[in-house]
Amino acid sequence: MNLSDLRDKARRIRAGVLRIAAMSDCHTGGSLSIADLLAALYFHWLRVDPHNPGWEGRDYFVLSKGHCVPALDAALALRGFFPEELLTTHLELDSILSGHACARLTPGIDASTGSLGHGLPLGVGIALGVKMDAAPNRVVVMLGDGELQEGSNWEAAMAASHHKLGQLVAIVDRNKYQTGRTEEMMALEPLADKWRAFGWAVRDVDGHDLGEIVAALDALPFGPGRPSCLIADTVKGKGVSFLETHHMYRLNADSLVAALAELGEGA
Amino acid sequence: MAKGFGDVILELSEQDPRVCGVSCDCWGFLQPLAQRFPERAIEIGIAEQNLIGIGAGLAVRGKIPFVIGMNPFVTMRCFEQIRTDLGYGARNVKVVGGYGYGLMYAGWGCTHHAMEEAALMRLIPGMTVVMPADGFETEQTMRAIAAIDGPAYFANQGGNLLPDQPEEQREFTLGKAVRLREGGAATVLSTGPIAAEALRAADELAAAGKPVRVLHVHTLKPLDAEAVLSAARETPLLVTLEEHTVIGGLGGAVAEVLAEHGCGVPLRRLGVQDVFAVMSGSHADVKRRHGISAEAVVAAVNGER
Ligand SMILES: Cc1ncc(C[n+]2csc(CCOP(=O)(O)OP(=O)(O)O)c2C)c(N)n1
Repeated sequence: MNLSDLRDKARRIRAGVLRIAAMSDCHTGGSLSIADLLAALYFHWLRVDPHNPGWEGRDYFVLSKGHCVPALDAALALRGFFPEELLTTHLELDSILSGHACARLTPGIDASTGSLGHGLPLGVGIALGVKMDAAPNRVVVMLGDGELQEGSNWEAAMAASHHKLGQLVAIVDRNKYQTGRTEEMMALEPLADKWRAFGWAVRDVDGHDLGEIVAALDALPFGPGRPSCLIADTVKGKGVSFLETHHMYRLNADSLVAALAELGEGA
Repeated sequence: MAKGFGDVILELSEQDPRVCGVSCDCWGFLQPLAQRFPERAIEIGIAEQNLIGIGAGLAVRGKIPFVIGMNPFVTMRCFEQIRTDLGYGARNVKVVGGYGYGLMYAGWGCTHHAMEEAALMRLIPGMTVVMPADGFETEQTMRAIAAIDGPAYFANQGGNLLPDQPEEQREFTLGKAVRLREGGAATVLSTGPIAAEALRAADELAAAGKPVRVLHVHTLKPLDAEAVLSAARETPLLVTLEEHTVIGGLGGAVAEVLAEHGCGVPLRRLGVQDVFAVMSGSHADVKRRHGISAEAVVAAVNGER
């Protein structure tokens, strides 16, 4: 898929997030910041089969920042895992969509997340399993930057390089906010050096430049026999000026129209 | 109107220089304290295990930290730290489930259901465990646990108040259950904000000529065993109601007391029946589906299964 098509997918993922945010409490900030990354993953890089979500040959994607499931739901719907109309059932009684990633309800989701700091250990386990089978599946874990304050990530980071998990990729959504400004609440910098010190091959990208993202994904793994970490410089709430830096935002009918208009979409 | 967490911790800090607050990405709760005593309000980021360890360390130094996180995570992620560093260590640390008690975050999924919070905390020797019904009881709980020397847990409730319970007529003593309605057809025991549903059921039952006693058990540990035993002697049926698994919380605690004392009275435990509440829906939807409602209480009192 060419870059302009990928940009269109990202725009539609964002529009899906906004429609969800008009329905229910929604973590808009961290959902909008990963829209470009998800577009590149689901429409360029991940080998998945929407008609057979459990396909053994699939690449695994773990959204460790499970509160940003609105963006993942939108990407999965666009990719054909379920009809797009279902997006606006988010949080409705007996919807297949949950407020945090739920593998028991939503097709295409492999890991139920929402409690921060679970995704990377899980990803290490999946990658070890794949390695035991000498299989080619790749494993991507998407992490929040605030989330990295949980110690479990660093236990897993150590294990991943110790076990030489070259098929494992961590993507850090470095949007620089958690519920407040990350560097003020608990500083992470120098972040790339931390990952390097744990034995990972690290690369930085502009997380909203699809050309850069695609080039980085195509260059994986970044170092032979080592797990790869992609630190994506992003903007929390990217795409809608009045949602920037907000962790959550509930849209009403008017603000939905205004937000969609900023994306160049009609309501 | 009850004071919120932020104002009560400020009040306690003004009275006692040892009181301080530690936040695990819950900084909003410590704003009033941070403005008045910046050095006594500490943010440690999203790191529950670290939160408890730091609390224990502050207590070693003679401080009285209130350490605050989100209910499911601050009870589960760091359970061993609470059990060992605070329980075994007998440290004067107050663990606060700041937001997200019980099934409150219903459709946000099972990661966010704190349906084990009371059971886990009750397991720990020496731990005081309180599930306030509302803002009034939260305020009273905070003052009461600050005055005792030892670890405690409570599930914070915001400004909401129980209906028809004027503050000036209410009582609060740590470890003492409160009778909110009188009646002989059964006793409905509640813990946490679901007390409001127990009251609604009681009113409906009274109107139908079956008045019940409502015994609200805010303190799950130490449990008011005497109040449970009187209910068992004086009413023919006990029904427990909680937004929690029936294992190890109020239902479990009441069952233990009844069995130990050989009470033959029937007990119905309303709560999450040893399953995950895997469903999308509102808080009310999830409670209704899992039989945690006034309707379920009425049915139980009427002998329906
Ligand atoms: C273990 C755990 N602790 C606390 C929370 C509450 N929580 C939900 S989102 C969030 C902030 C996450 O920040 P970040 O990882 O930077 O995500 P993003 O900014 O991308 O939304 C917090 C503290 C949680 N979900 N899990």
